[in-house]
Amino acid sequence: MSTERELEEILAEIGLEHRAIGAPDKLESVLCAATAARISVKAAPRMRLAFTLAAVVILLAALAGVAVLWQTHIGHSSQIQQARSASPVQRTPQAIDPLTNRTQTHNLPAKPAQVRNIQKHDATPRHALLPHRTWNSLDEFVPLPASEGLPTAAELRVVRIKLRGSDLQQYGLQTPADAAGQTMLAEFVVGEDGLPRAIRIVR
Amino acid sequence: MTDEQLHRAALGGSSDAMAVLYSRHGGLIYRFTLQMSRDETIAEEITQEVFLALLTQLDRFDAERGSLSTWLCGIARRQLLKRLNRSDPPASFDVDEENQEQASCPSDGPAETLLRHEAVRLVHDGMNQLPPALREVVILCALEEMSYEQAAQVLLVPVGTVRSRLHRAKARLAVLLRGEMANTERKR
Repeated sequence: MSTERELEEILAEIGLEHRAIGAPDKLESVLCAATAARISVKAAPRMRLAFTLAAVVILLAALAGVAVLWQTHIGHSSQIQQARSASPVQRTPQAIDPLTNRTQTHNLPAKPAQVRNIQKHDATPRHALLPHRTWNSLDEFVPLPASEGLPTAAELRVVRIKLRGSDLQQYGLQTPADAAGQTMLAEFVVGEDGLPRAIRIVR
Repeated sequence: MTDEQLHRAALGGSSDAMAVLYSRHGGLIYRFTLQMSRDETIAEEITQEVFLALLTQLDRFDAERGSLSTWLCGIARRQLLKRLNRSDPPASFDVDEENQEQASCPSDGPAETLLRHEAVRLVHDGMNQLPPALREVVILCALEEMSYEQAAQVLLVPVGTVRSRLHRAKARLAVLLRGEMANTERKR
């Protein structure tokens, strides 16, 4: 047998022994853990992005909610303002200093609708209305029984005066006995003829 | 499942794919580094580094230019070279042409009576005494039964260089073998 051939056989034998050596098992678990950790590392930026997007969405939703509430508030305020402006009788006292006890006179432009409203109340039988009205329940303007039969006023104004409770009787209103001596501030709706059409008690 | 498919799955975080790749190619890498370094610790560390590189340098692997095993083996070889250059006196991977032939050539003689196990030990020891550039060729071509082309891809040298290096390595081993056989014959 030649040396070369002998060498080839020996190398083949060593090769068999060599290839029987396997990779260490302990490395496999390390590499698998490293592969899984790679997922975590890759997932971290995605999670951050997801949280950022969620935060932005929540912020936008909160802003939208605030905007809706603000619009609702504005709408409600404008409705209140419109309601107030639609009631000239209520607006008038705000223009008057309620703290002063001096009689003040305010000219109001003629408002046929308002007059008609008063005339409509005038059409109501006074004896049916008045018993339910007491002096301290006149926080709104009510037609005066004494104004019944008066012509429709073309121009109206509000006159604020101080009077006694007993004075209401001359306008056809009932006054409790204990309030007859009390002083009160009242507003009269007066026509261009100087005659009162309606009254309300300020305080 | 091809290595490329497993490759992509491992990149996607599949531990199972990595386990399969390791079972397919881990042995080659470990054996190669163990034979070259003759140190189990170094072999384990480099094997681990090679497969970790698989996760970070996958884009550098081109399946059209070679197989995954040769690519991994090439990485292992570079890692090993760095390690050897750091620790030991620089291990030249170049072939020492001056000393390559029959430096201690014993007398020629028949070796019919040489015991087989002694011959195997002699060749094994002779492999370890070979210059690294020759030893790695013997490991890849003779022990791992790689083709010249595959070994050339690992070593990044032409196929002709692989062939010539293997020829020189075998010649050296043959000289050792002949000398031992002659000595044994004389003793008889």
